[in-house]
Amino acid sequence: MKHDALPEIGISQILGLVELLAGKGGREDIYKLAAELSMELGETLAVIRAAEMLGLVHTPGGDVEVEQFGYKVVDASITDRKDLIRDKLAELPLFKAVIEYLAKQEETEVTREEMLEKLAELLPNEDAENSFGTVVTWGRYSELFGYNDDTQTFYLGESRAE
Amino acid sequence: MIPDGHALIELDQVTRRFLLPQGEVTVLENISFRAMEGEFISIVGPSGAGKSTLLRMMNGLLPPSEGRVLYNGQAQRGINYDTAMVFQNFGLLPWLTVSQNIELGLEARSKDAAYRKVQVDRYIMKVGLEGYEEAYPRELSGGMKQRVGLARALAVEPSLLLMDEPFSSLDVLTSINLRNELLDIWSDRENLVNTMVMVTHNIEEAIELSDRIIILSNRPGKIAGELKIDLARPRRKRDPLFSEYVDRVFSLLA
Repeated sequence: MKHDALPEIGISQILGLVELLAGKGGREDIYKLAAELSMELGETLAVIRAAEMLGLVHTPGGDVEVEQFGYKVVDASITDRKDLIRDKLAELPLFKAVIEYLAKQEETEVTREEMLEKLAELLPNEDAENSFGTVVTWGRYSELFGYNDDTQTFYLGESRAE
Repeated sequence: MIPDGHALIELDQVTRRFLLPQGEVTVLENISFRAMEGEFISIVGPSGAGKSTLLRMMNGLLPPSEGRVLYNGQAQRGINYDTAMVFQNFGLLPWLTVSQNIELGLEARSKDAAYRKVQVDRYIMKVGLEGYEEAYPRELSGGMKQRVGLARALAVEPSLLLMDEPFSSLDVLTSINLRNELLDIWSDRENLVNTMVMVTHNIEEAIELSDRIIILSNRPGKIAGELKIDLARPRRKRDPLFSEYVDRVFSLLA
């Protein structure tokens, strides 16, 4: 099965992009946006692609435009945002595959190495180490799954931290 | 939030000197201003204007060489535990998890572990860090690290939040996001803290966030001017009135 890679983008950057666009009337030329932010075009595109994967924006022509869902997220409280984004992430094929994999291994804990192998299989054209960091971050943000770096193991659902 | 006319902290003719190998240097000279309860104040000035020194006198870490710092009308002596600080470089301990870093600030103030746990969980939620409890700082993006710094400061439920260039180590999009979230937290009446003093060299950031800006001149830092920002929030840089404020701050700095 082939999956879209996850751009190595933090959730704060994605939210910042949507907030910025929403404050500008919702639509901007991508090239102008990159210039205004003094960001490299490639970097800007990566953030836009990540926001698009989450259904926050779409990209008609050379522009980027905030979706209804994007406005909903921007207007929501800090905690409600997480819930909205969690639901979107849970629909992404890659996340579904990771969650399914974790669910199947419920009895034995999934280690870092095992997840790297799984990601290499799901995303054969990507650097598994890079994808690993992104998957961990987004899993944590959405609380769909967690990872403990001390034990180097994954678990489904909420944090087990004391 | 509307300031209610009660001065939470007041600097009264404060001067600060440091003894350096080349002799005594005056970093701040004759600084007087008040932060009213509920107010968001930014202190803007070039680097070397003593902005961080000013914050450290406000939380009592550093005594003034001359003049007085009054908190709720009382002369401040020693560290003021009613204040908390957010740092430019987050100030996190790398060997502690997110939860443990947030709990750090509480340990000096409460021996009650159950209470500390409640506070940690509450402020992890407030800043949107649920799910990251057991992550280490090295696993976090800059935006998430600063959320930890903010949660640690908020968890002690200070009356005055002091921020030293809180957004300047973040990338441009992340800082947009965190500024918005900071305003959400500030206007959330469930939070005890409603008075904020932020030091920044970023004029637009100061105008976007503050009720009032205090402009410092350089070496020694003196108050070059003060500006009330009469714009409804959210504030947009494209607004011509916003640009006018930028010009006025520049002219006071020059």
